[in-house]
Amino acid sequence: MKFTCFQKKLSDSIIIAQKAITPRTTLPILEGILMTTYKGVLKLVGTDLNLGIECFLEANIIEEGAVVVPSRIFGDIIRKMPNSMIEVEVDSNYRISIKTENSHFTIQGVKPDEYPELKYVEERDPIEIQQNLLKEMIQNTIFAVATDETRPILTGALFEVKEDNINIVCLDGYRLALKRGMVANNKNISVIIPGKTLSEVSRIIDNSDDKISITVDEKHVLFDMGYIRIVSRLLVGEFLNYTQIIPQEHKTRIRADIGTLYDAIERASLLAREGKNNLIKLTLKEDRLIINSNSEVGAAHEEVPITLEGNEMTIAFNSRYFMDILKAVGDEEVCIDFTTNVSPCVFRPEDGDNFTYLLLPVRTSV
Amino acid sequence: METNRRLIFHIDVNSAYLSWEAVYRLQHGAPIDLRDIPSAVGGDATTRHGIILAKSIPAKAYKVLTGETLYSARLKCPELLVVPPRYQLYIQCSRALVSLLKEYSPAIQRFSIDEVFLDYTLMEPIYGDPIEAAHSIKERVKKELGFTVNIGVSSNKLLAKMASDFKKPDRVHTLFKNEIQEKMWPLPVEDLFMVGRATTSKLHKKGIFTIGDLAKVDPQSLYGWFKSHGHLIWELANGIEDSPIREGSPIKGLGNSATLPFDVEDRKTGHRALLSLTETVAMRLRDMGKSAGLLSISMKDRDFISRSRQRKLDVPTHSTKILYRTACCLFDELWKGKPLRHLGIRASRLQDDSQYQLSIFETGLEEQRALDKAIDEIRSRYGSDSIIRSCFLYSGLNPMMGGVLREEEYPMMSSIL
Repeated sequence: MKFTCFQKKLSDSIIIAQKAITPRTTLPILEGILMTTYKGVLKLVGTDLNLGIECFLEANIIEEGAVVVPSRIFGDIIRKMPNSMIEVEVDSNYRISIKTENSHFTIQGVKPDEYPELKYVEERDPIEIQQNLLKEMIQNTIFAVATDETRPILTGALFEVKEDNINIVCLDGYRLALKRGMVANNKNISVIIPGKTLSEVSRIIDNSDDKISITVDEKHVLFDMGYIRIVSRLLVGEFLNYTQIIPQEHKTRIRADIGTLYDAIERASLLAREGKNNLIKLTLKEDRLIINSNSEVGAAHEEVPITLEGNEMTIAFNSRYFMDILKAVGDEEVCIDFTTNVSPCVFRPEDGDNFTYLLLPVRTSV
Repeated sequence: METNRRLIFHIDVNSAYLSWEAVYRLQHGAPIDLRDIPSAVGGDATTRHGIILAKSIPAKAYKVLTGETLYSARLKCPELLVVPPRYQLYIQCSRALVSLLKEYSPAIQRFSIDEVFLDYTLMEPIYGDPIEAAHSIKERVKKELGFTVNIGVSSNKLLAKMASDFKKPDRVHTLFKNEIQEKMWPLPVEDLFMVGRATTSKLHKKGIFTIGDLAKVDPQSLYGWFKSHGHLIWELANGIEDSPIREGSPIKGLGNSATLPFDVEDRKTGHRALLSLTETVAMRLRDMGKSAGLLSISMKDRDFISRSRQRKLDVPTHSTKILYRTACCLFDELWKGKPLRHLGIRASRLQDDSQYQLSIFETGLEEQRALDKAIDEIRSRYGSDSIIRSCFLYSGLNPMMGGVLREEEYPMMSSIL
């Protein structure tokens, strides 16, 4: 096997393939990247058996072949090379030689025969969505995915296509994040994609209008960008019926400017303690929202102008959770609906319904 | 004598359970003092709690050991008088001791039901020479409370504790830094605090038999053998220890376990036994104003094989219902069907219960709290058996198992304070 290609292109592709590789794997061959020549292009594959990433890149193929390269060291070497043509040659004993004008490295590769094949997902009838939209939808929901394994299904995100709507829903029991996107697809799909897969997808895809196509079968999902294909296992099980959790009624509704509210909460959280649920107390008044926090260090008092409809009330939250949501909301103004100080509050857009966030308060005995 | 050095007392009740029982009996007109005859506090063999919990000094002469079965103790000493434990009494006696000690210093740490640390630093100008003060405390306890104590006096908690363990009963011993070599180093290494059975046998294999041997070993090699524990025991052997006296020391967790009156052979009875333990643990949590973030259960089968399993809770809680439900899940995952003789449950990752993050998965928490609170109030006013779950009727199980004070739970006393 022998090829030449530009350092930058090869290095970029390696970084993408590496995203599927876990450092602690029980199968040593999975620490490597499978590198093959394929119809005049070079293909790199990384996988941890749950998630697999294939990258295709242009290269000048001199001799066909395949090898598994040790991912870390090969990646480091290529990354540190000058941005010029690199020549890579693999001999029959899988010794890899990497050459540029003034550098020459040799490292040992592994026979490719035992590298597991990625699951083939037939691209029938894919869903198409702009990459920047998908990226935004993932980034604004993924923070609410469960991080502990108590309920394995919640480490995934619900990916729902209902005719021309795409919904991504994440929830960890304390909060729920739901983001809606409009895409003309006219399909009905509901699958649970592992949180890790989605967060890698959001890192890999561009901030452009280019379409990405998504195909699901019973057990897998394929994200295809043409030169990058990401295949992942789906989580099996029943997701929570999230529509039932979101309260439809409220007793108090406030409107606030997100930037001002975020800054005030961030300042107050400086005195909220990590071990104590990062507690901040909100007092909703007719024209202002008062934020209080305290710890042995001192006390904070912040006021934010709001408009309020309904009852005045006092409610406490974990400031970190609250800020996560405000960051994801992104709009200039937000409506927050409250019922009681021990029931969920709901964040909605001023108009439309392109997101819903739900947050449960901290119960305090006062 | 420097005025600003630390002075720590360790007060240790001599054969606590037995002395307290003896005092109680004398006060109620018993003709003989249990401490003067071969006697022991022991469990009830018919419910399979048949072990010696404490023994009198005359019983010790027959080589009766704490922790051995009543059967084997009676073989050694046929006339041994065994009396049942009376935990409520022990708690009262322990409280009386602490309140007496509080007259001598504001800084007091209960280390277990029968051991207390007292910080005498800076108390000299008020109560005089520490040795004399220790003697006067000892005499007052004997005169006013009727039982004897050993008091160890030193400059830190470890040395004070070691000192109180020297010759018993009714003594004051000192073990200051300059006395370590003479008084502590000749002792067998297993007498050192934090050196348990496993460590002892490893140390013996390395040719370390006395505390002095241990003190002289290169700490690097100890670290190699025992990691950080090696470093710790080396410091202890050299009398290095500087932990402060903590009132109400931070409690990491609390649990209850019990040997069941009969082997549990079906899931339903297993769950019921867990419910009984949960009732006790949850009430203790509520008593302390704590919620648990983690629950673990342990079981020991007929062949004495132990297993355990733990789970993080969605919301830190002290609700009997939620803890019980979680315990049952753990039980079902852990139990493979072998008859069980012992079950335990433990709550940890404790946090203040005045606030908690609500979760979608736990609803009706407020109602649970109100119910638990009402039951606790009824029980504290009319006794713990005044209100019980009906499933315990005719079940052969105590509706609130556990309550036996275990050494691993030193700070547990605070739940009863």
